[in-house]
Amino acid sequence: MSTETLTDVAVRTEDVWKIYAQEPEDVEAVRGVSIEVREGDFMTMGGPSGSGKTTLLNMLGGLTRPTRGRIWVRDLEITTLSTKELARLRLESIGFVFQAFNLLPVLSALENAEFSLLLRGVPAEERHRRVRALFDEIGLNGLEDRRPGRLSGGQQQRVAVARAVVGQPTLVLADEPTANLDSNTSDSLLDVMERLNQEHGTTFLFSTHDPRVMERARRRVSLVDGKIESDERW
Amino acid sequence: MRRIPTLFRLAARGVLREARRSLLTASAMALGLALLMFTRSLADGGHEDWINAGVRMGAGHVLFQAPGFRESRSLDDRLSGKQAGAAMAALATLEGPLAPLATTVRLTTNGLASSASSALPVVIEGVDPKTEASFSQAAQGITEGRYLEPGDRLAAYVGRGLAERLSLSLGSRFVLTAQSTEGEIQGQLVRVVGVFRTGLPEVDEGLVHIPISTARSWLGAGDAVTTVGAILTTSRVVPEVVQAVRFDVGTDDIQVLGWREAYPELDAALRVDDYGDYVFLGILFAIVALAVLNTVLMAVLHRKREFGVLQALGLTPAETGFVVFTEGVLLTALAGVVGMILGAALTWGFFRNGLDFSAFLSEEMTFGGIVIDPVIVPEFRMVQVLQSFVSIAVVGIVASIYPAFRATRIDVGEALKFE
Repeated sequence: MSTETLTDVAVRTEDVWKIYAQEPEDVEAVRGVSIEVREGDFMTMGGPSGSGKTTLLNMLGGLTRPTRGRIWVRDLEITTLSTKELARLRLESIGFVFQAFNLLPVLSALENAEFSLLLRGVPAEERHRRVRALFDEIGLNGLEDRRPGRLSGGQQQRVAVARAVVGQPTLVLADEPTANLDSNTSDSLLDVMERLNQEHGTTFLFSTHDPRVMERARRRVSLVDGKIESDERW
Repeated sequence: MRRIPTLFRLAARGVLREARRSLLTASAMALGLALLMFTRSLADGGHEDWINAGVRMGAGHVLFQAPGFRESRSLDDRLSGKQAGAAMAALATLEGPLAPLATTVRLTTNGLASSASSALPVVIEGVDPKTEASFSQAAQGITEGRYLEPGDRLAAYVGRGLAERLSLSLGSRFVLTAQSTEGEIQGQLVRVVGVFRTGLPEVDEGLVHIPISTARSWLGAGDAVTTVGAILTTSRVVPEVVQAVRFDVGTDDIQVLGWREAYPELDAALRVDDYGDYVFLGILFAIVALAVLNTVLMAVLHRKREFGVLQALGLTPAETGFVVFTEGVLLTALAGVVGMILGAALTWGFFRNGLDFSAFLSEEMTFGGIVIDPVIVPEFRMVQVLQSFVSIAVVGIVASIYPAFRATRIDVGEALKFE
């Protein structure tokens, strides 16, 4: 058991498994993973393709239910939550950044970034103030009204980061966020996320095998065949 | 509830984003609705024409007769003058759209028409020349001579077929023979004053109009009648009128019949035609439903990732389904408005004076005991427009349910996989 109190822990798992039923035999994507992510962590989960990184990330974010085992976000056990409660958890406590950006194409950059605040019922004035401040901070000033199709990959991913952090979630889960970006854009994006981590204490958990991301992490977990192979702090 | 405006906005933008696909689907639905409005108004207009022709060939939209007359066609089953008066009084109380356009009284019996050359069985109708002239189809089909006039006594108005088969011409005399109210066979000499043609062989060869006063005295019927009839503004008010006059007459000795009961052949013909229309409409609805289903379902399948993102951001599966469902409804509403305008333009703008089918129909085409008019005037009614809109809306809404359900079943983890 960890020495931290539960309130220091952003997310915790206990013997989590994910098994996909498949012919000729079931696939064990995640095998008995127990891990804690502390608040304020800036950590990576590495490992080869098929090692279970994305599956574990999805389970931590309440997108996929584990086959067995337990997961807590802060002190809330999420493995017993209903679909509706999980949706609420994702809205209020988890931010996602995806490899493919996944902005909503029908909304502008500002509308994408403020979406979770909109769903939470935050008044328009407050939403716009927070998003504009964030856009200033991460270099998206002047792009508020652009639709995703008219933004570069790096700009889209910045909007995705803004969308993930604007609601001040417990944890931001970033699945290969730099995989579709060139090295300069990746560095610039990582600068943004590192700054948000350091200045606002936002917890980031990356699934990646990009060395540039791993270099910046203060903790690196390595997964192989669905199991934790190593867990190092720097 | 708080999120509904947001979900609605997402749905609206979803429709607009896939503008070409939305436009194609909306066009299919709009055309379907326009076609539905047009065919329905054409069918309604055609049916009203048929009914109008049928009731004018017969004795009106609403008939008062003695019980049993329809089956016996005998003078034994007749209404007294007092009963006929009560029937006319009941009709006179009707107001507004229920008020009759024309009324008439008839004394009808079966008999024999004999000339020097031949003899044929006929239906002899004693009519009031004054009221009948604006009432009967036969009275309006004069080909020679004139219709009966008040003051005529021994005049007869005969069908062209009968005139030909009995070798009669204007001024010719012939003898009508029928059973009187006393049960005796009586003859009456009459003279041809006019010849008509309806296009229906059984009418043109088998109907003779004579003044009701002549018929009454010849057959010993006093002031009796066999039928009191009324032509109404439209067939749609018949059930209401029948109910009202039945109540007013208040006796079982006078039978009140609507046109459906009075002319079962016509009723059956219209039902057969309606059945064909329903099949056509069913096919049309199926096409529209498939168009909506295809578009909305394709949208769901192509936008799995987008719906996965929505759920990752905090939307519940039900809310995601609501977005998809709303897209279908918006598409339907858009198509509905365009379709109504198109349908109105097509029906009212181009064909308000009628659609001429004479190139496809013989002018003599008969169906259900009437002659079909080759010019059909569409009947354009607001209630019918709304019914068509509601029908299409229901189809669109029903067709959106399955795609919406599919959207609620998306595996978010799977949908967000990078490919």
